[in-house]
Amino acid sequence: MTSFSITLDGRAVDVTPGQTVLEAARKLGLDIPTLCYLERCGPLTSCLACVVKVDRNGAGRLVPACATRVQPGMRIESETSEVRDARRTALELLLSDHVGDCLSPCHRICPLGLNVPRMIRQVQAQRLDEAVRTLREAIALPAVLGRLCHHPCENGCRRGVCDSPTAIRDLERYVADTALRREPPSPEGTGFPRELRQEGHLFPKNRPGPDASSPRSTPPLPAAERASACPPSSGKSVAIVGAGPTGLTAAYHLLRDGHACTLFDRQAEPGGSLRAVDQTTLPRAVLEAETGLIASLGAQFKTATVLGRDVSLGDLERRFDAVLLAPGQLARDEIQALGLESTGTGIRIDVRTFQARAPKVFAAGSALKPIKQLIRAMSDGQEAARCLHEFLSRGEIRPATKPFSSVMGRLEREEIERVRSCGSPAARVEPAGGVEAGLTDAEAVREAQRCLHCDCRAAGDCKLQYYAERYGADPGRFSRQRRLFEQQARHAEVIFEPGKCILCGICVALTRQAGEPLGLTFVERGFDVRVAAPLDRPFADGLRQAAADCVKNCPTGALAFKESSPAGRGGEA
Amino acid sequence: MPTEDLNVVDQIVNRIGRAPDAVIPILQAIQEEYRYLPEAALRRVCELTEITPAAISGVATFYDQFRRRPVGKHLIRVCRGTACHVSGAERVEDALRRLLGIPAEADTDRDRRFTIETVACLGCCTLAPVTQMGHATYGHITAEKLPRVLRDFLARHAHADTAGTGDEEDRQNGASRARINVGLGSCCVAKGSDRLFQALRQAVRDSGAEVTVKRVGCVGMCHRTPLVEVVVPGRPSAFYSGVDPAEAGRLVARHFQPRGLRRWLSRAGTKTLDSLLAGATEEPITRFALGHRDPAVTAFLGKQEHIATQHFGRIDPMDLDEYLAHDGFAALRRCLTDFSAEQIVATVERSGLRGRGGAGFPTGPKWRVVRQQPGEVKYVVCNGDEGDPGAFMDRMLLESFPYRIIEGLAIAAVAVGAHDGIFYIRREYPLAVRRIRAAIELCEGRGWLGARLLGADYPLRLVIKEGAGAFVCGEETALIASVEGQRGMPRLRPPFPAEAGLWGKPTLINNVETLALVPWILRHGSEAFAAHGTQTSKGTKVFALAGKVRRGGLIEVPMGTTIRQIVEDIGGGALAGRKFKAVQIGGPSGGCVPARLADTPVDYESLRAVGAIMGSGGLVVLDDSDCMVDIARYFLQFTQDQSCGKCTFCRIGTRRMLEILERICDGKGRSEHLIELERLANTVTQGSLCGLGKTAPNPVLTTLRYFREEYEAHLLGRCPAGRCSALIRYQISAECTGCTICAQHCPADAIALTPYRRHAIDLDKCTRCDSCRQVCPYGAVEVQ
Repeated sequence: MTSFSITLDGRAVDVTPGQTVLEAARKLGLDIPTLCYLERCGPLTSCLACVVKVDRNGAGRLVPACATRVQPGMRIESETSEVRDARRTALELLLSDHVGDCLSPCHRICPLGLNVPRMIRQVQAQRLDEAVRTLREAIALPAVLGRLCHHPCENGCRRGVCDSPTAIRDLERYVADTALRREPPSPEGTGFPRELRQEGHLFPKNRPGPDASSPRSTPPLPAAERASACPPSSGKSVAIVGAGPTGLTAAYHLLRDGHACTLFDRQAEPGGSLRAVDQTTLPRAVLEAETGLIASLGAQFKTATVLGRDVSLGDLERRFDAVLLAPGQLARDEIQALGLESTGTGIRIDVRTFQARAPKVFAAGSALKPIKQLIRAMSDGQEAARCLHEFLSRGEIRPATKPFSSVMGRLEREEIERVRSCGSPAARVEPAGGVEAGLTDAEAVREAQRCLHCDCRAAGDCKLQYYAERYGADPGRFSRQRRLFEQQARHAEVIFEPGKCILCGICVALTRQAGEPLGLTFVERGFDVRVAAPLDRPFADGLRQAAADCVKNCPTGALAFKESSPAGRGGEA
Repeated sequence: MPTEDLNVVDQIVNRIGRAPDAVIPILQAIQEEYRYLPEAALRRVCELTEITPAAISGVATFYDQFRRRPVGKHLIRVCRGTACHVSGAERVEDALRRLLGIPAEADTDRDRRFTIETVACLGCCTLAPVTQMGHATYGHITAEKLPRVLRDFLARHAHADTAGTGDEEDRQNGASRARINVGLGSCCVAKGSDRLFQALRQAVRDSGAEVTVKRVGCVGMCHRTPLVEVVVPGRPSAFYSGVDPAEAGRLVARHFQPRGLRRWLSRAGTKTLDSLLAGATEEPITRFALGHRDPAVTAFLGKQEHIATQHFGRIDPMDLDEYLAHDGFAALRRCLTDFSAEQIVATVERSGLRGRGGAGFPTGPKWRVVRQQPGEVKYVVCNGDEGDPGAFMDRMLLESFPYRIIEGLAIAAVAVGAHDGIFYIRREYPLAVRRIRAAIELCEGRGWLGARLLGADYPLRLVIKEGAGAFVCGEETALIASVEGQRGMPRLRPPFPAEAGLWGKPTLINNVETLALVPWILRHGSEAFAAHGTQTSKGTKVFALAGKVRRGGLIEVPMGTTIRQIVEDIGGGALAGRKFKAVQIGGPSGGCVPARLADTPVDYESLRAVGAIMGSGGLVVLDDSDCMVDIARYFLQFTQDQSCGKCTFCRIGTRRMLEILERICDGKGRSEHLIELERLANTVTQGSLCGLGKTAPNPVLTTLRYFREEYEAHLLGRCPAGRCSALIRYQISAECTGCTICAQHCPADAIALTPYRRHAIDLDKCTRCDSCRQVCPYGAVEVQ
């Protein structure tokens, strides 16, 4: 038979007989979501995320694209709001029965979005270069924050429900301190004073444990992990008024995006309110080391410069492509003097864009309203930097998108022990050298082992997460009685989490095709259907020769490889 | 389990076979033996056969029939069909659990004496609520009656009650003799007609009268069972309803004089004894007599036309000669001799017959598609997996007219060129299975099935596949999967079974009632059939009329008869003091049609237009004491239980819908829940893979459409029908005389015993079981 033509979203497509609608759509470049489709298994038609609307005698029907064969004259709708709604509902229904978190609670809570469990796995494996990179992706002043943060992440830590939360802040500080110790001298010799790298300045003496060795003996960071690794210049410049936590954070992220930054501060040294912190809690050397890092990224500091006295806002507007006001709290008359509107607590902005005055004046931090918590001030700077980057690179500012995450919610009583067994049973590690000393390498590894790794092994490699994000699926649309968390870890290489299984049937088909002696099967019926090894045998027995194939093709994190080391999770570079 | 026990498994496998599709029959046989499926037995099956562990575990956990835990000595099944639900099945189950000491989360008592199982529908809807104990079925159960029923069951069990349905008896009855016909369908048996049958036989033997006590199929007037017809040649028949087995002797004596003096004397002696025992209050036997001129009987039968149920209540289901004497197999004979296959298909096409199983797909064109398929091997399947709660038409037809269904299936086979036919019958209908099996054997015995169909040069083999308890297997592609020995999971159509069905071969699947109509059409011609019914829906439709109606039963009416005619004229309207509110048509795939639309004619298009479907023909009448939100919740619970679990929309969507409905029934609903419910219902309808999921939201959508104000009342914390237990309170009014009966019957100790003083209900302890209201002789218990 020769090829014929069908209509897909109003476009004519040439197809060959026997082709499925999915194949035809992919030819057009349409990304119809599929979770249960694997070509060599044939259509399993379980997820129904691939529905399209087929017009038949004037009446439209939703059918799975993966199993519907093209017919001459077929008219298909794929990207209409009705079809997308149905797909989104399918995804939301699957998510409503999906027990797991894509991102761990600590990660979701962190206002700066630090991928905590990834960093902890890197600490645990002593792959500190990677840990530093993870940390610095999110946090501008980690050694500072690691000492001062009120750690909301630890309030969300599941380990806290079992005994006490993982010492996330201490681990963060451990990674940051290690990085500072290993930071090579800046080639340009700018900003970062050599003497700060010397032991006596940066770290208390008599530091116990392996870390007591000379910092010079630690190998320098590879180029890629260095904070100073900057992308090519964008050619744009930003004036930042205020070199406190908000301004420094904004500068850090803008510099990393290739924009030149000049920071103006009324004080003689950068740091703003951080300079008021007592030296025991935050040694001056630590603050200076991290502000120095920002300088090494290319930041220009104009200290002892007062806005309105030494430089006017109009000046800055003329000289720079954008201005960010982060000077801390301002009085009403100061705001008015700048020609800006006041809300009563601070500068009035467009809350989504941090824009105070079109086109190029932005404001953030305590200049808007008083901020008590350091991490909030920093997250304001981070978000303002994102807006500025959008403004500078695109001319328009898109609203922030939160990364999608399925949410497991509070633990049930029966789940606490199951969850706790994902980490070492040890009690929370307190630094033997005291709070000022921080964790040693050995202590850090020991504490890292306590982490329960609540995030999903498949995060970033999960079709459900991917399409849920693309379709704006709401994992909380249906309130429900959820299943209990369960993890079957008897298999040598594979971990099975039944709660994350969407019953696509791919592993059942693959084990059958592979001729597994036992294999996997669906058991029960209706809402109670599960994938299991038959005859009440352990799951591990059902998955022998096809194990790797099944893990690779699992559309979610229901099947995942155990790692030889916890940091061995794929794709975590 | 000791190892030697597994020899039984070896024997079962030797008997049934080793191919992958033997899995369901093997599991059924194992369960028959052990009363559950021991793990070791399953392993043994895998060793002995081609059945894989994955297949056996998948199948054993899919079907309701299979138990994986040992069962108590006595198995009690509580029917949760629609009619039973609205008649208080939940209260019956609660009371049974209390009585037997089985906690809510368990199914068996600690001593392993009793196991409770709920079943979707036993198909005895006119006797609701119904409970099956062992092999005995009890109708009109209430919490109050339960102890007595249980005693009766245990007594029957102890005496190994042999009352039968006459199936085991030989058949040598002459047609010209006087007869006493006893309806022996499953419903009738549930009301004790099996014992009446035995008692009449004994009475006839005792009297020596020249009369045959004859088992006949369903009479249809289920509300009057047990029903007895006395037929004396040359005289009008006499009907009796509600006869007690103890009165069998007098009934026989009334119509048939004893033969000899000695017998007369003995009879007279018994009679004297009887009257002495019975005392003066006993009413004469004529109390039970019904005549065709009885207005109720006239009304019940007047509007009916009997095609599928032709000769109802008159012929012995198993008497092959009697079937022949009533034109049986005449149509098949003509199909084999006079008609070409093309002519058969054309006749069925012209008759306008549409499938009676649910969707109403035209039967003739379906036959034509199968007939046109190339290839030698084709299959015909009789779909007897009537799973809709509230429907029992197919059971009755299979039980009462087994030869007619065989004939219909054989005609279909000849028309499409199939040589293998399969009866797929749900296992909840044991009598139907027994009778079809016996009927096939009797036909084979005469050489009419097998190598030469009715002696002609046309081989046709018929086999029976028993379902294992899965509503979804009524869906064609799931049925095929089940016959092939798989989990009953539907697949996307096309390809349709007519093109690629059982084992990938062209397969014709027709519903029981459809096939029951076929012989009549071939005998009388397509025009005669098309003369009944409406423009688009030809012929007649059998309905199971049940619920809150005076005269429930099995009826056959021309298409186009209105709902009002069925409910009011045939059914006699709502029960005393109640108001007809709606009919639920089409079971879990159907909808609720409100009383104000009662003039809707029953035909495929009209019912679809009001949001219901014809379905297989369950018709449950609801009155003002029925809560429509509760009805919607009930059906969602059913479809949710019965979903195969394959596609997202049905597996999770129906569960989320059910959760919303539960919240509303619990008084925790908010207005956004109604919006979400409607939105989700529409998506599940559109997106589900098979008919079960696509129609599952219908009960919700129709009640939202016609009874939205009831949903809204629930949002405000009020259940207008006084049904949803979280929203109602029981109170005792000033009418109370302090008789203490309520306090004695309260299972929750919520009523303090205060003789001669007005009683009061502790609402914290009250479980809303309704016992007090039912027992109060003064009507002093009020529901608010």
